[in-house]
Order: sequence, then structure tokens, then C-alpha cells
Amino acid sequence: MTRPDIHALCGAYAVDAVDDLERAAFDRHLADCEACAAEVAEYRETATRLAEGTWAVPPPRMREQVLTRAAATPQVSAADRRRSAPSPVTRWRRIAVAAAAVGVLGLGAAATSYAALEQRLDAERIAMAAAQQRRDVMTAPDAALRAGDLAGGGRVTVVVSDLEDNGVVILNDAPPPGPDRVYQFWLVPDDGGSPVSAGLLRADQNGAIELIQGVSRGVVFAVSLEPAGGSPLPSTTPLVGVSLV
Amino acid sequence: MTGPDLSPRGASRRGVSPGAAEVSLAAPQPERVVIDDLLRSVARGDDAAFSRLYDLIAPRVFGLARRVLRDPAQAEEMAQEVLVEVWRTAARFDSERGSGLSWVLTIAHRRSVDRVRSEQASADRMQRVAAASMHVPYDEVADQVGTRLERQQVRRCMEGLTALQREAITLAYYGGHTYREVATLLDAALPTVKTRMRDGLIRLRDCLSVEVAR
Repeated sequence: MTRPDIHALCGAYAVDAVDDLERAAFDRHLADCEACAAEVAEYRETATRLAEGTWAVPPPRMREQVLTRAAATPQVSAADRRRSAPSPVTRWRRIAVAAAAVGVLGLGAAATSYAALEQRLDAERIAMAAAQQRRDVMTAPDAALRAGDLAGGGRVTVVVSDLEDNGVVILNDAPPPGPDRVYQFWLVPDDGGSPVSAGLLRADQNGAIELIQGVSRGVVFAVSLEPAGGSPLPSTTPLVGVSLV
Repeated sequence: MTGPDLSPRGASRRGVSPGAAEVSLAAPQPERVVIDDLLRSVARGDDAAFSRLYDLIAPRVFGLARRVLRDPAQAEEMAQEVLVEVWRTAARFDSERGSGLSWVLTIAHRRSVDRVRSEQASADRMQRVAAASMHVPYDEVADQVGTRLERQQVRRCMEGLTALQREAITLAYYGGHTYREVATLLDAALPTVKTRMRDGLIRLRDCLSVEVAR
């Protein structure tokens, strides 16, 4: 995955078009990048001009309420400014977000580059998106359940939805694949064509819940044991074949 | 009304130009200087300065909050919160980092965006706001414009952007969308959207002759 220069995020950051984690990461970056701080300031000044067009008269009662509340609110001292970061967002929020980011990523992440952080965030988003897609299949109105037992032990359950054109495979209780072997999933088309790989488990993995995309490509779902790294075509007899139609 | 301008900047402006008040009604720049000066007075606990400042910034804070939140009641609540925050933290305003108005509206925008994101399920909001944002792009803003020179200038400069630049900035700034949401809404690649937001802002900045005083 290519990572664009962090400067590309300057614009999005200046108009608050980043999420909390990106904001925390960029805030940290800003502390070390005087040029970025100047650039962001210019964009914010520009955005301020965009706000001019939204001018609207507030309800008259608001004035008295604000002045009364202000009179009862103690001010931060000027000395506090020296310690405060450039961003005007309230301190507790930035600290909370920064703490949350550290909590998620581990203390070591504080020293990692922005690119690595963003990559990590992308990975989390992809994982969440996959989880959502699995839920979509499971809850689809046309979700259909098929299952079969593997030769040698274990059971595979496949939930397919034609509407989603996705399936979810659940592999349980299969024996360890053995050294230099992995479980591989296949979709077998009904036109006599070659099986298409639908996923590969890790070397030590003998159970899984996986999303299978494009189930309409096959009429049979199959599992086989393949050499480490997987095979372009099945090289062993399938352990199970589950009809999808 | 007696001005709270105690700073050398405010004093010298008045000394040099007796017509400064008239100028500030016509052109936006002096009004910004007034806001900066008022913020400095507010930082020293001057409540008279705060009530003057209120009159200048409340319509802007309320207007921006209403635009992003799309709900007058919530916008009123948000504007109150932001204005009290301005009072509370005025000492943190640093004129070397931009104008006072920009400082105030940055707080208002960020808080409004945070609110709109936190309270609505994203899918629901994507759908609702997407429809709304798509149907009322910046034209709604431009239509309210009318007389003020600056608003006409903003409109002209917005028209000078490419469609993607304009839509990306509009959805992000007025709609409160993240650039990821914008990419989905516009069916564009993420890096493209990031870049368009940035180069759109650069083009706007140059067109509007925006400068940050140093």
C-alpha cells in the first residue's frame, strides 16, 4: 500500500475532515512541523471566509444567557497559554484522544511514523468492514445455511446470500493442518471450469470465520489441504464439498 | 459605546484614522482587527469587551453551528457553549497563529462537527446528510449573500474551483464529513479527495488573498 505524504492531510485536517485518531496523530505531527502549522493556519483562515456565508441572527435570549454564564465562568490564565498546544480544541479532549490512541496502539506507537499509524488504522477499518460484511450475510433475508463434515475431522458451515453475493465460512474442530500444510477454500463453478481459490488460512490455523466474496461464481464450496503458501488449483483431494445451490 | 481598545494597535489605528468605524462597516479586515483587540481585552477579564465581542461573533458562531448541525435548537446550545468557551480560554488566543475570528470559528466548527458525528449513527447520517448536502451545495450559502462584497468574492472563488474540489470542501466544511465519507459520497479515491481538499483550499486561499499575519 502506498502512503501519500502527510502534507496531503493538511487540508482535511484544517477543515476537521479527519477522524479522532487521525486528528490526534496530526496534532502530534504539528508540534514538530512548523511549516505544517503555518499551512494549517492559512487553510483555517481560508475556511473562516467560507463561514461568512452562514451568518445568522441568533435568538435574542441567547445574549443574556451567554453573558450570564460567562460571568460565572472562571477564565484560564495567560500563563496557561505557554503550556497549551497550538490547537484551540479543549485540552481534556486532546488528552483523552491521545490517550485513547496510545491505548489502542500501545506505547511504542508514539514513536512510530505517521504512515505506520495510518496503515494500522486502515487495517482496523478493513477488519471492521469485513466484520460488517459478515454480519450483512448472516442477517440477509435470503441467507441460507449449508454444512458438511471434513474427511479426517472437523465441520464446515457456509452461510450464503445471493443478495449480498457473499458467504461466510465457519470452520470448526478440524485437525491441525500439519507441517508445511494449510487449509485452502475453493469455489467450484458449475460450467466445468477450474476451481477458484476463495481463501487461505495461516499455517497453524485449523478454525476460522471468513468472508467469501462473490459466491455466485461457484456452485460448490470445497476445502483442501495445500502446501504452505497455497495453490493456484487444488493439488489434493478435497476434504469436503458443500453444495451452494 | 466606548471601545475597550487599550492595545497599542487599536489606539494607533484610531489616532491615525478618525473614520475607522465607517471603514470597519464596509470592509471585513478592520472588523477582524477589532475582534483581535477585543479578544485581548477579554483575556484580561474585561466583560464589557466580551459583550461587544458577542455582538460581532455570535451571529457567525450561531450561523456556522446551524449550518453544520442543521438544527436551530442544537445550534443555539452549541453556540452558547462555544461563546462561553471563548470567554474562558481567550488567553490562549495567539494572534501570531491567525486571526481571532479564525480562532473562534475553528472552535465552533470543530465542536459542531464533533457533535454531529457523535450523536448520529454514521450510516443514517451519511444517507440523510448526503441527500441534504448534495441538494444544497454551496449555492445555499451563495444565495444568502446579496450585498456583502466579501461573500460575493467567496462565491466567485468557489466557482473558480474544479467540481471535485468544490464538492469535497463543501461536504467537509458545511456537511461535517470526514474525507473518507466524502470519498464514498463522491465515489472518488481517498488520496484524490485528500489532495483535492488541499489544493482546493490553496486555490481559495490565493483567490481570497488570505494571509496569516506573522
